This record gives sequence, C-alpha cells and structure tokens, in this order.
Amino acid sequence: MRQGALQHLESARVGLRSIQAHKLRSALTMLGVVFGVAAVVSMLAIAGGARREAVEQIRLLGTNNIRVTHLALSGKAYAAAEQKGSRGLTTGDADLVAASLGHLGRIAPVRFVEAPVLLRGREAAGRVVATSADYDEVTDFRAAQGRFLSELDVADAKRVAVLGASVARDLFGFQSPLGRRIRIGGDEYTVVGLMESKRVREGRATVIRVRDINRDIYVPIRTASARFPLPRDAGAIDELAIRVADADQVSTVAPIATRLIRERHHGVDDFEVVVPAELLAQAQSTQRVFNVVMGSIAAISLLVGGIGIMNVMLTTVTERTREIGIRRAVGAPRGAILAQFLIETVLISAAGGLVGIALGFAMARGINLFAGWETALSPLATAGAFGVSALVGIVFGLYPARRAAQMDPIGALRFE
Amino acid sequence: MHALVRLEEVHRSYLMGSATVEALRGVSLRVDRGEYLAVIGPSGSGKSTLMHIAGCLDRPTSGRCWLDGTPVENLPDDELSRLRNGRIGFVFQSFFLIPQLSVQENVEVPLVYAGVERGERAGRARAVLERVGLGRRLEHRPNELSGGECQRVAIARALVTGPELVLADEPTGNLDRRTGDEITGLLEGLHAEGVSVVVVTHDPAKARRADRIVQMEDGLIERELRGSERARLGDALEAAAR
Repeated sequence: MRQGALQHLESARVGLRSIQAHKLRSALTMLGVVFGVAAVVSMLAIAGGARREAVEQIRLLGTNNIRVTHLALSGKAYAAAEQKGSRGLTTGDADLVAASLGHLGRIAPVRFVEAPVLLRGREAAGRVVATSADYDEVTDFRAAQGRFLSELDVADAKRVAVLGASVARDLFGFQSPLGRRIRIGGDEYTVVGLMESKRVREGRATVIRVRDINRDIYVPIRTASARFPLPRDAGAIDELAIRVADADQVSTVAPIATRLIRERHHGVDDFEVVVPAELLAQAQSTQRVFNVVMGSIAAISLLVGGIGIMNVMLTTVTERTREIGIRRAVGAPRGAILAQFLIETVLISAAGGLVGIALGFAMARGINLFAGWETALSPLATAGAFGVSALVGIVFGLYPARRAAQMDPIGALRFE
Repeated sequence: MHALVRLEEVHRSYLMGSATVEALRGVSLRVDRGEYLAVIGPSGSGKSTLMHIAGCLDRPTSGRCWLDGTPVENLPDDELSRLRNGRIGFVFQSFFLIPQLSVQENVEVPLVYAGVERGERAGRARAVLERVGLGRRLEHRPNELSGGECQRVAIARALVTGPELVLADEPTGNLDRRTGDEITGLLEGLHAEGVSVVVVTHDPAKARRADRIVQMEDGLIERELRGSERARLGDALEAAAR
C-alpha cells in the first residue's frame, strides 16, 4: 500500500514534468475542460443568483403567508360580475376568512390609497397603505421606533401614520419622525412609528412583483374609509394578507379561503390567491428544468474536452512507448504504468478545471457587472465542478493508460 | 544447489504479419550462481530472445524456465515484474535511458518500483553512480553524456537494486573499442563480486574472457565452450566471422 502511494507520488512528479515539458500542448489539451468547467461554473452562478433572488422575494412575502388580491375586471367579465352581484374584495371577505380561520391564523385587510404625502409642501414618493392593527404581525414587518397602528387607532379612525424607512428618510433625514405631523390628502396625520428597514431587491427573476415596502405609509383602514371614501363601496379593499400559524397548513388553508371567498362572490373570480410557498416550489421546479438544460450543455462541452484529452494522451502514450518498455524492464508492474498515465491525465484535466473555475468566476463577475444579474456561487458547486474535471481525466485517461499498461515490454523497447 | 537460471526445451515464436518466426527452437541452458557467460552468434540467431526469457522479460511459447529453482514461465505478470525489479539487471546496446530524467533519476527508477523512499533512493543511486565513475554527473540529462557514460548510467541502474543476475545485450555494440573495454571491465568487476553476468556479444575477443561461451545459431545452441576449449573455438568463430 505504502509502496503504491510512493509510486503514485513519483508518477505525479513525472506527469508534472511531462506537462511542463510540453507547455503549449498541455495548455491546448486543457482548453476543452477549461471552457467546459467555466461554462458550468458561470451557469451555476447565474442559476444560483436567480434562485437566491426568487427565494429572497418570496421570503419577503412570507412562507407562512397567503395573499388574496383584488382583480379589476373589465368588459364582459365586469358585466357578468355586476349581474351576479359580486362587489369585489371587501372587508366582509376579510371578516369571513378571519372567522373561519379562528386560531389557525390572522388576517389583515389592505387598501392602497392614492393620495399625496407632504411635509411642509415637500412631497414624498410613498404609497399610502390603509390596514388594520394586525398587519405588522401578519406580514412579520415591524416598527423599529414608536409603534405600529393599534386597535384603538383603527376603531377610532385616528389620523395617525407609521412611516416606511425610505419615506421617513426622504421627509425627515436622520431626525426622528415620531410625533411630527405630515399631510396626507388634505389632512394632517401624526407619525406614531417608524418601520424597520427591509432589503427589497427589484430583481430580474421576478416571480411575483414585490412593492418596495420601505416606501409604505400605514394609516388605519377606517381612517382611510372616512377620509378617502370610495365612490361605490365603502368596504372595498385591494388585498387580504393572511398569516397561517403553521407553515405546513398554508396549503390546506389556501383552498379553503379561496372557496369561501368565491362563494361569497357568487362564483365570480375577481380575486387571486397567491401562496408564496407554492411560488417558491414552482420557481424551484422551473429552476430544475433550467439546471437540466444547462447541465446538458456543460456535459457536452466536458465530453468534448475529455475526448480532446484522450486524443492527446493516446499520442503521448505512443511517443513514450520506449519509456514504457524501459520502466517495465526495470520492474514496473502494469498497474504502475496505468497509474502513471492516469495521474498525468488527471493532472491535466484537474489543472484545466482550476483554470476553468477561475474563468467561470471571472465570467460570473462580468455578467454581474455588465448585465446586472445577480450571481451566486456556492463552494459546493465549485468543488463539484473541480471534481467533475478530475473525473473527466479519470474517464478519458483510462483508455490511453490501459493501452500503455498492456504493452508488451519487448515490443515497447524495440519501438522506434 | 539450484542453478540461478535454468531453461529447458524453450521455444519462442513470434507472429510477424502472417508468418510465424521461430526465434528459439528448443534451447536448454543453465547459468550458475556467480558465473560469467557469453552468448555469441549471428544476428537473428535468438540471442536477445534468450536473454529476454532468461530475464523474465518474455515468456517462452513452450518449454520450462526456472529462476533460482522457482518455475517462472507461468508466473503472473506482476510477479515477473517484481523478479526483474529485485533480482535481475538489464543492460542494453542502446542504453535505454529515459531522456526526460537526470542521470540520478534514471538510476532511481527501479528503486521507485521497489518502494524505496526518496532519501534512501538518492543515496543508493549516488553510491552506484560513484562506483561506475559518474559521481559528478548526477544532474545531467542523458543527451548531455557520451555513449560510454550513458552505458555506465545503464549499468548503475541495473545494479542499484543489488541483483543476482545482470543480463547485458551487446553492451558495447554502440561504443568505440576503448570505451567498450571500459564497460566490459565494469561488468567483469561485477562478476568478480559474485554477480552472475550474461553478456551477448559479437566480439569473440570479449566472449573469450567469459567462463563459458554459448554459441547460438538459428534459434538453437550450436555449442558450448568452457575452460581451455574457449580459445580454440573462439578462433574458429573469428574465422567464421570473416
């Protein structure tokens, strides 16, 4: 065993020297593997980035969450809904779902209000979100300073507001906004809280559009109903945010909520139920298809690279027939000759793998810089790419190495 | 006591294209421990094949072979490799050094396969190179050496594992007379130390210095000469050569 290890170390040294002796040839031989591995690495980086983006976005929506959004109907569908008597998504739906959920989860209605937000005549780019006191719990998005809207704020339709971090910075800079007054629509509101800052990326791989919640301004939903009455229906809302206590029950609760709301809407599909956890699963299965396609492309380039290596190694074996004969004559067993050429091939392909990984990193970085795509490379993927390059060496080195090992010593010595 | 090498009715035929060439056609031979044997004969008479079979580098088509009493004709390839590595040294007409390796590394090659560690390998290689007079050429490449020096390296390589048998196939064939004599001297020195030496040669003068001469002809041993017969038949050979 020890003897074998010693021989293999020696084989590695001989192999390295042979690679050094034929620098250009070795470099050209590696090229196929270099590009194959670079392709694998950069594609994995892109795939990894896309996945991370999707996961982040969906996490933002919460894996325990279900969102019911109002769908604006038009034309015939609108007329049909009218006829059937559906009034769109309303607080009534929220109450119904809340009642049936019981202790399984909580619910918060959301209404987006179109109104300018001003501080001493300066307008902030923000979005007024009217909701209930449970919203912070339901979305797991909390106040960092002050407090979120309270039950009392909602019940009394108080004119209070909680600012998203970006809006607060726009309006107040680094001063505390607490207790200050801002103007929403025509009225003054007292700022009672400042939300935590959440990282929101407006990415490329958008599975679902996520608004920048740092630009939200929360006001009590009953305040909005009173101050910004809707022309048709006082109870209309844009969204229902539902949080299920147990993530495993999300997929049970979602269809129940859907059925309840549909019944209440007399069968009109003027709403949409979005389950982030399901989107995540969907995104992952799309990703899998993408990975299979990319994996096949990478496999083909590695195959081509491997064939190139095999070709060169066959030439090398022929060139070194005499050396093989000499080594056999002085007592090298077949296994040692096999190992020698196999190790040499693996050295070439593994070196190609390393260069390919470096090139792949560079390509991923370039894509990130120039195309703005998020890229993420896991150490595991990198190690895997390296392992595959070494494996290519073993697979495609085996035949030339066997050929070397099977040579008849006398014939090899006589070879001109 | 066993003969070091014993061959009995050894045949060896090759397939050359579609024709079968019989290189050996029933050769029986023994080489004793410490013996100095010369093999002579014209090209194609089977001398080299005989050497290869005696040295476990080749197997007979039929017949039996023993090395130190052990039958070797059916040993597995790895066993034969081990025997070549540990007990037999080869010296060839065209040296057969590995051009990419330095002198010292060339000599170390058999030790690598013997599983000797690097430090010890270097020491042993230097010692044998010192002995063949190349102690100052360790780092040179074979192409930087003269023919005589190359053959010394090859002899050092044959010796480095301490073999009982050294087989030299026309070791002076590519060398001028003076260098050839030096190489013959080295081989005779080995014999003096108790190593069995078998030399294939064309040169009757060199053959005559051996304990025993085997003359081959057309795949058979034509005659064996020992003691005082050597001088007589050597002359006859020389006459035949002319």
